[in-house]
Amino acid sequence: MVEHISIIMFIAVCVVLMAGYPVAFSLAGTALIFALIGNFSGNFDMSFLYALPNRLYGIIDNTTLIAVPLFIFMGVMLEKSNLAENLLSSMSLLFSRLQGGLGISVVLVGMLLAASTGIVGATVVTLGLMSLPTMLKQGYSSSLAAGSICATGTLGQIIPPSIALVLLGDVLSSAYQQSQLALGIFAPKTVSVGDLFLGAVIPGLMLVAMYIIYLLIITHFRPHLAPRLPPREQSKVAVLQLLQGLLAPIVLIVAVLGSILAGIATPTEAAGVGAFGAALLALGSRRLSIDRLKEVAQTTTEVTSMVFLILVGAAVFSLVFRGFGGEALVEDLLSNIPGGLFGATFAVMVMIFFLGFILDFIEITYIVVPIIGPALLGMGLDPIWLGVMIAINLQTSFLTPPFGFALFYLRGVAPKTVKTKDIYQGVVPFIGIQLFLMILLCFWPSVATWLPSLKY
Amino acid sequence: MAYKLAHPFKLLALGIDHFTEWTGRIVAWLTLAMVALTCAIVLMRYFFETGSIALQEAVTYLHAAVFLAGAAFTLKRKGHVSVDIFYQNFNPRTQAVIEILGALFFLLPVCLLILIVSWDYVASSWAINEASREAGGLPWLYLLKTLLLLMPVTIMLQGLSEIIKNILFLLYSKMPASPQGEA
Repeated sequence: MVEHISIIMFIAVCVVLMAGYPVAFSLAGTALIFALIGNFSGNFDMSFLYALPNRLYGIIDNTTLIAVPLFIFMGVMLEKSNLAENLLSSMSLLFSRLQGGLGISVVLVGMLLAASTGIVGATVVTLGLMSLPTMLKQGYSSSLAAGSICATGTLGQIIPPSIALVLLGDVLSSAYQQSQLALGIFAPKTVSVGDLFLGAVIPGLMLVAMYIIYLLIITHFRPHLAPRLPPREQSKVAVLQLLQGLLAPIVLIVAVLGSILAGIATPTEAAGVGAFGAALLALGSRRLSIDRLKEVAQTTTEVTSMVFLILVGAAVFSLVFRGFGGEALVEDLLSNIPGGLFGATFAVMVMIFFLGFILDFIEITYIVVPIIGPALLGMGLDPIWLGVMIAINLQTSFLTPPFGFALFYLRGVAPKTVKTKDIYQGVVPFIGIQLFLMILLCFWPSVATWLPSLKY
Repeated sequence: MAYKLAHPFKLLALGIDHFTEWTGRIVAWLTLAMVALTCAIVLMRYFFETGSIALQEAVTYLHAAVFLAGAAFTLKRKGHVSVDIFYQNFNPRTQAVIEILGALFFLLPVCLLILIVSWDYVASSWAINEASREAGGLPWLYLLKTLLLLMPVTIMLQGLSEIIKNILFLLYSKMPASPQGEA
């Protein structure tokens, strides 16, 4: 019976979170209350909590995680200096002759933006602010515009170098080692953030390609959903300006990504250089002032503290969860699900999908993955495949009405003329595309695992 | 009349807000230093083929300072994520009650817990003037670990300020004007 307290605690946390107090404190606070009650009733040993400082120091000492603030800095810099906005206007000029050209530009720019910020909320808000008004003005249907913006915004999960993948890689690598040690393998294989990046490249690009194909098809058969610019305005393309707006940010992001994938630089090093490069780009286009720098530094500090405080909260939660014997319980539950590995993975994916309605990827990565990861990996699942699946799954969850995060973010910045119903309708085809990709990954896991396997 | 009685509390809350805002603004510059040092490390490694443990550890120190000392600043600017599906539709008084209860039952106890369990951990590090285990590493590991005490203390301070401000709001229906961020 005692083990079930851990499950009750998990449900209690989900309920408490609905009140709207910051996640990190709600998480740790609820766990602490359970621990205190457990201590008085003799079901919990408070000495478990003395492992906390060591855990917290582990977060400080983790060099992979240093990539997180640096990537945030790079994304905030690109966003605050309007480089992304320039990119969008050049790109849409480039595609102005194509049916649905603006929509395709939004997907491509969103992909680059997602790759640089890696935060769903930031990408959707930025993309929504800079492209939704333009799309509506050009006569795009509200639902098509809103749908493509939301879907593209969630690409930040999967397109490397995403922060989601950095954090997932960190958690999965320790889960992978733990599962192998449990099986008695004392020279365990490892999985790195770079491996996860490599694994996500093909699925991520496939997703972008499918978005574009969908836009091409729908605008071909229903041109009134996405009218072209009148020819008069098309002619205003200035080649030089276009190249300037397009080339620099693309080179930056490709260089950052390429150096990680080629194994030349660690994610942390690449992120540092990328952040510096973003500042140079802003300087080059005369958009860097002391005030702007201050703004970027302060926003970076806020977002970084936000991310890491959740790690702190999750550390408290997972210690208490373990103290109540929750890990053993989950392992037991998963191995008893009918259908073996497939059944267990399916159950976990469904659970993560629904948790995605109330929790952001950082919380899920640090609360759920350490609990289910060792069990699933111990049953023989590939860690890269699992990481990519979790990322796409969460991405789909963030897009699914009525609770998807991306929808809220867009609702927050969209004009009143765009009905919530339009947003919901617009995302449906994109959800279909993502589900299709997940099914594909189930039948051909090599879509994710092939590229990393070349490394060895 | 009655609002005047609350004056000392208001001053206390605003004083804490000022303190938090300024620590945050100072700490924020460290993110620039992180970027610069990381680039320096990369340059040294790929062009001069030398590495410096001390520089790498310096980035770790800066990183820790940013997210641990910046946590209270983020709290003040309401930058910590929450599930606001329902929260945003609550009326301001309900929101204030949630803020007070959250701070009392979650924020303060959790910070106290971190403070209590980390105390001996940090003290024993001071006792031996703990330095890096790596050759050529920085000798101030005990200072780095002390951040584990600084974080809960600064968050508790800011939490106290939030409690006072929300209680004043509930009592007098107005929120003391707090120094605003520039963002």
